[in-house]
Amino acid sequence: MTLSGKKAIRYLLAIILIFSLNFAIPRAMPGDPLANLLGEDVMLTEESIVELRAKMGLDLPLHQQFLNYWSDVIRFDLGYSYHLHSPVCAIILSRMKWTLLLAVPSLVLGAVLGTLLGALAGWKSREACQKFETGLVLMIYCTPPYFLSLLSLYALSFKLGLFPLKGFYSTGSALDIAHHLLLPVVVMTLFSLSRNYMIMRGSVIQERGNLYATYARAKGLYGEEILFRHVFKNAILPIITLLALDFGFILSGALFIEIVFSMNGMGNLIYDALLSRDYPVLQGSFLVITIMVVSANLLADLLYSHIDPRVRWQ
Amino acid sequence: MAGDFKKILSCKATYWVKIWRPDIRGVRMALFGLLLFLTIFILAAFSDLFAPHDPWNRFEPFLAPCREHILGTNDLGNDILSELIYGSRVSLIVGFGAALMATLIGTLIGLLAGYFRGLIDEILMGITDVFLMIPQIPLIIILAAFLRPSFWLVALIMGALWWTSTARVVRSKAMQIRETSFIECSRSLGFSHTHIIFSDILPNILHVIMPKFLLTIASAMISEASISFLGLGDPTMKSWGMMINFAFTRGGFINGYWWWYMPPGLCITLSVLSLVLVGFSLEEHEEETMRIE
Repeated sequence: MTLSGKKAIRYLLAIILIFSLNFAIPRAMPGDPLANLLGEDVMLTEESIVELRAKMGLDLPLHQQFLNYWSDVIRFDLGYSYHLHSPVCAIILSRMKWTLLLAVPSLVLGAVLGTLLGALAGWKSREACQKFETGLVLMIYCTPPYFLSLLSLYALSFKLGLFPLKGFYSTGSALDIAHHLLLPVVVMTLFSLSRNYMIMRGSVIQERGNLYATYARAKGLYGEEILFRHVFKNAILPIITLLALDFGFILSGALFIEIVFSMNGMGNLIYDALLSRDYPVLQGSFLVITIMVVSANLLADLLYSHIDPRVRWQ
Repeated sequence: MAGDFKKILSCKATYWVKIWRPDIRGVRMALFGLLLFLTIFILAAFSDLFAPHDPWNRFEPFLAPCREHILGTNDLGNDILSELIYGSRVSLIVGFGAALMATLIGTLIGLLAGYFRGLIDEILMGITDVFLMIPQIPLIIILAAFLRPSFWLVALIMGALWWTSTARVVRSKAMQIRETSFIECSRSLGFSHTHIIFSDILPNILHVIMPKFLLTIASAMISEASISFLGLGDPTMKSWGMMINFAFTRGGFINGYWWWYMPPGLCITLSVLSLVLVGFSLEEHEEETMRIE
């Protein structure tokens, strides 16, 4: 079997496994599956329980339920949130764009800055200045994302009043949204940067010991020229796959940062759903996040085979 | 001749000697990390000796730091310093539990995949790839929301999800060692697969597993803190994440009670840092010795 065929099967398996998990969780957990599927704060009379049970197909045999679940998922029907009184899919779509607005710029900025700074740090890892920088990045790497955002929110927004305290917008103009997003994006970027930085630094330290780097020096190239013409290309390969996996990390990080900055994206949606035990929303969010992470991985795989000829030829 | 002798000696050097050979670059960082970690470990083990008060005892609420309560009290009147010291327990238990489980699963899967190759390798690595793509924090949030939150549960879920990177590293190392002549030797002497895997290959990859283990503890500790911050922590235990959560939701931030939210945050950062420092310097050392060989 070709490499891409194998990869495709793995992605398909991942999707099937995660969706099945999502089917199994409310039915396997302690308590009434109906309550687990509707959310716990929904008040129901005896008749409506029977009616809803029939309507949702919970009295059918399990394999029939499983088939019904799949046909629902394929039609993007993720259930109905009785707590928010609207279909889960619509809620998530309206919230997702805000979370992406926060996560994607941070991911891109973090990747670019992280690889560049990390490459330089790895190249000159023995200089005192670089060591200090690495220590600083390491501190950020070790802090939980929400703690740093709490501190920056307190210092910059609350005490100094430089940034708005909450939300994505107050008037809705592009400038206003950018002003609201600036601080959260900077914090997220720092986190994504710190991860890429550490990986790139290690990768460059490993690559610079190779003979081709010595040859480039012997050929007459100087310091940074060797780094960016020869070493960088090889050192960046592990970053590309990690970037896709990091997408999941960034999304989860964005959830926490949204909670701290009171922004109405996926993070607060999940947090509110958690407080009111609104299970359909929780599960739907999990599914959507999974689909995004898997597609990011697929994208990275395609990109990787495009960039690295050794993979292409296999 | 002298070079040969040196080579034999370095081959015979056991794992621990390899780690503590004094010429490691960044050994100071590793030592600093180790000391920091030991401090936190001792605090957790003997919390009742170090804590000035019972963390569940109620005094006057919202006290500023004073002689009796060095870090003041929270909204319920619990002594914050005592909470902080007891909080180290949950962090360490969850971190160690999750990392131990993840490392055991990862090592086993990596060894089997790397040693047997072929179909077993395909299947096991396929499973690893699938697990790698599950967004972990959202899954933990969902499971913790359905089940009654307890720190055992959180540790168990993390352990069941986080073995993937260990499995990958162990596999590639096992594949290398499998081709060496001493394994060939064991095989031609008729030793069983189990014996070769666990007595010949495993001891030779322990030095790769160790830093992975430490880094897994570190990330489990961060995640535990994040989950407790969401209010999904174990309500019967004091934890750092939960302290920050209470400070955030019950007015500690708005009123600027830094003694309430700063110490737990710093504690999380420092304990993660201690593990990461040791883990990274072990990994770096490992890469350097590989190049020399």
